[in-house]
Amino acid sequence: MPNAPAPSPNDQPDGQSPHDGRFVALLTECQTQLRMYVRALMPGEQNAADVIQQTNATIWEKRNSFEFGTNFTAWAFAIARYEVLNERKRQARSNSLQFSTELAETIAAELDSDQFSSKAEQLQYSKREALKHCVGALDEQQQQLLEDRYRNEQRLSELAQTLQRPVGSLKVSLHRIRQRLAKCIELRLANMGDH
Amino acid sequence: MTPQQLQQSIDALLDGQLSEADFLTLEAELSVNPQARQIYLQRIELDQLLSDNYRSDAGDKRDQETTPATRVATSAGPPRMVSRTLLLTILAAAACLLFATTLAWQILGNGSQDLAAGIPSTASEERSAIGFAVLSGQAQAVWKDQSLKKGQLIPSGIQHLQAGLIQLELFSGVQLVIQGDASFAIESPMQVRLLHGKARALVPEAAHGFQLLTSEGQVVDLGTEFSVEVDHSGTQVEVLEGEVELHPNVGEMKNLITGQRLLVDQAGQVSNQPGQPISVVGPKEMQNRLAKQQNQRLERWQNSVNELLQDPRLLGHYSLDGQLGYSRVLPNGVLNQQVRHEIPPIEKLSRKSVASQGAIVAAQRDADRWGRDQSSLDFSPVGSRVRVLVPGEHNALTLMCWVKINSLDRMYNSLFLTDGHEVGEPHWQILADGRLFFSIKPDDQDKMTRDQRQQQIYHSPPFWDTSLSGKWIMLCTVYDPDQQQVTHYFNGDAISQHPIPDHLIIKQIKIGAASICNWSEPMYRTDPTFVVRNLNGSIDEFAIFDAPLSGQEVKQLYQSGNPYLPLSND
Repeated sequence: MPNAPAPSPNDQPDGQSPHDGRFVALLTECQTQLRMYVRALMPGEQNAADVIQQTNATIWEKRNSFEFGTNFTAWAFAIARYEVLNERKRQARSNSLQFSTELAETIAAELDSDQFSSKAEQLQYSKREALKHCVGALDEQQQQLLEDRYRNEQRLSELAQTLQRPVGSLKVSLHRIRQRLAKCIELRLANMGDH
Repeated sequence: MTPQQLQQSIDALLDGQLSEADFLTLEAELSVNPQARQIYLQRIELDQLLSDNYRSDAGDKRDQETTPATRVATSAGPPRMVSRTLLLTILAAAACLLFATTLAWQILGNGSQDLAAGIPSTASEERSAIGFAVLSGQAQAVWKDQSLKKGQLIPSGIQHLQAGLIQLELFSGVQLVIQGDASFAIESPMQVRLLHGKARALVPEAAHGFQLLTSEGQVVDLGTEFSVEVDHSGTQVEVLEGEVELHPNVGEMKNLITGQRLLVDQAGQVSNQPGQPISVVGPKEMQNRLAKQQNQRLERWQNSVNELLQDPRLLGHYSLDGQLGYSRVLPNGVLNQQVRHEIPPIEKLSRKSVASQGAIVAAQRDADRWGRDQSSLDFSPVGSRVRVLVPGEHNALTLMCWVKINSLDRMYNSLFLTDGHEVGEPHWQILADGRLFFSIKPDDQDKMTRDQRQQQIYHSPPFWDTSLSGKWIMLCTVYDPDQQQVTHYFNGDAISQHPIPDHLIIKQIKIGAASICNWSEPMYRTDPTFVVRNLNGSIDEFAIFDAPLSGQEVKQLYQSGNPYLPLSND
């Protein structure tokens, strides 16, 4: 990422179309949803981050074909789904599990709500803070496991080898940790609402 | 499914531990049950938050550093920081993409600097490019979607080579020859996917662990040269030297050593393959073939130069032509031709004059446009020049050179200039803005107005943009007093033509002592200060004719001397 100061959304560098500012604003707003959508379509897959990046690149490339006034999120989701399919084709892997098109479309419609939108910045921000707090409340071993699993996006089978623990036991541990985190975040957000 | 079972299932999916049967059950549940989908999305969100939390160290630090600001933002309203980070991410992604397009464009040689205007300013600080491998050579290659050129970065995604051979150099050092019909994708410097077709990999020590993936499994290199062929029957792997590990999708890992060949079929069955070896040329053989092609081009040029040397209009033809050694003489081929063939007197008479050998000053020998060592002259060291003497008076003039410019960083970048600038003397150079400059000093210049003086300078439109940096190009300018016109050529094509006003026609062109790629004030002067006008670049061929060459002739010079031009059998 370039080490440049954050541009204000009003910046109009030379050579950019006057719509680019609006376009970037829309794209920024739907980032959280877009990333969730790609992850929802390729749960647990290591290359989801790459697909998200590729999706953003394609959206930018196709920005002139977007009609302002129509549903941006739905448009972006269609591109994301296409990129996920592309990645699937590229992998040509028989063992990757894939949701039906209908389900993918239903998920898209449900994600297109303010609950997950970056428009609800405060909410997104609170969730991040809550997660940090809740991770901090886990015991050391659990924190270490999360770190191993998420920092390097390690597969459970690799992790099992490194940690010399059975895959099944890791799977159960991770499930318990997620349950605990989900509960903790929920409580924390609810409490924040009270104040 | 209870919410508890559902969450268990989703977690197993996230950790890659869900069986296909359980996946189908989960999918069915998600398809019919909105609550289940809500739970699914919440879990995905948690997964996303965790991933963000652990994968953005930099972000964490920034958060900590700006804690007070963040606190203020939190109490005063929505914090802006998050959206700014996102905005930057998007702009960076967009900029990368635009840059990749620009780069590809420039590599293809069609680029103009105008394109750079499309890059958002956030990314203009540091150049970046996208890709893991460079196309280092190709023979009879036919690409399906986009034609890739030598030296170009391989774009991401699947590439389809319909026919021919290509050689790729991955940034890991792996050399890969792929034979069409084939489709492949470069996924990282250490990972290539071959969907179908044949490939042969030469893996240097630094790249042990290189992986070649097919639909039947993956081949992990342990330091070796190996071939892979993917077709309808499955994946065939053959070790030419060294050892590889074959990891079929189904079944156990197999070790293969030199000479062994296995087939993994689509059901995952592994069998020995006693049949024909996989026939694909190796990187070394590929290099030989490419070198042979370049040699053919070189030979074609040498033949055309030998013909050119017979041309009585030629005053000088300067080239090191592969002469190794430390000689500081840049030979004029016309003189050598005379020595070698002892031209009969009548022909000698037909030449009005012949230019001297060149004396190399400061310039360093470098590779020429055919890739031969020490066969061009690099004029970038300060003071570099080649001194020549061209006697006589001439009715017309053609100047031609093959030049590789690093950058036009002087106000005047010299190609060929007489010492000082006396009446009837030509000056040929490139301005910093990329325009060719040619002039012959008229005899009553001192009496002229400023505007009239400007008329005797013939500027081409800019031919230069930075994408040409480091590439060999041919420049040529023809001064034709009979037709009263000056023509500038770039790579064999006329880029501009200028009428010579009547009062500026000069039919007694004098050169005398002159410099290639620099300008010398008269040599008897004693002032040691001098202006810096040496070309920041190299020359490997320079020719002067005392006649106007036709457009057709210039084109021919370009074609016979173009190191990039495909051969008829390419």
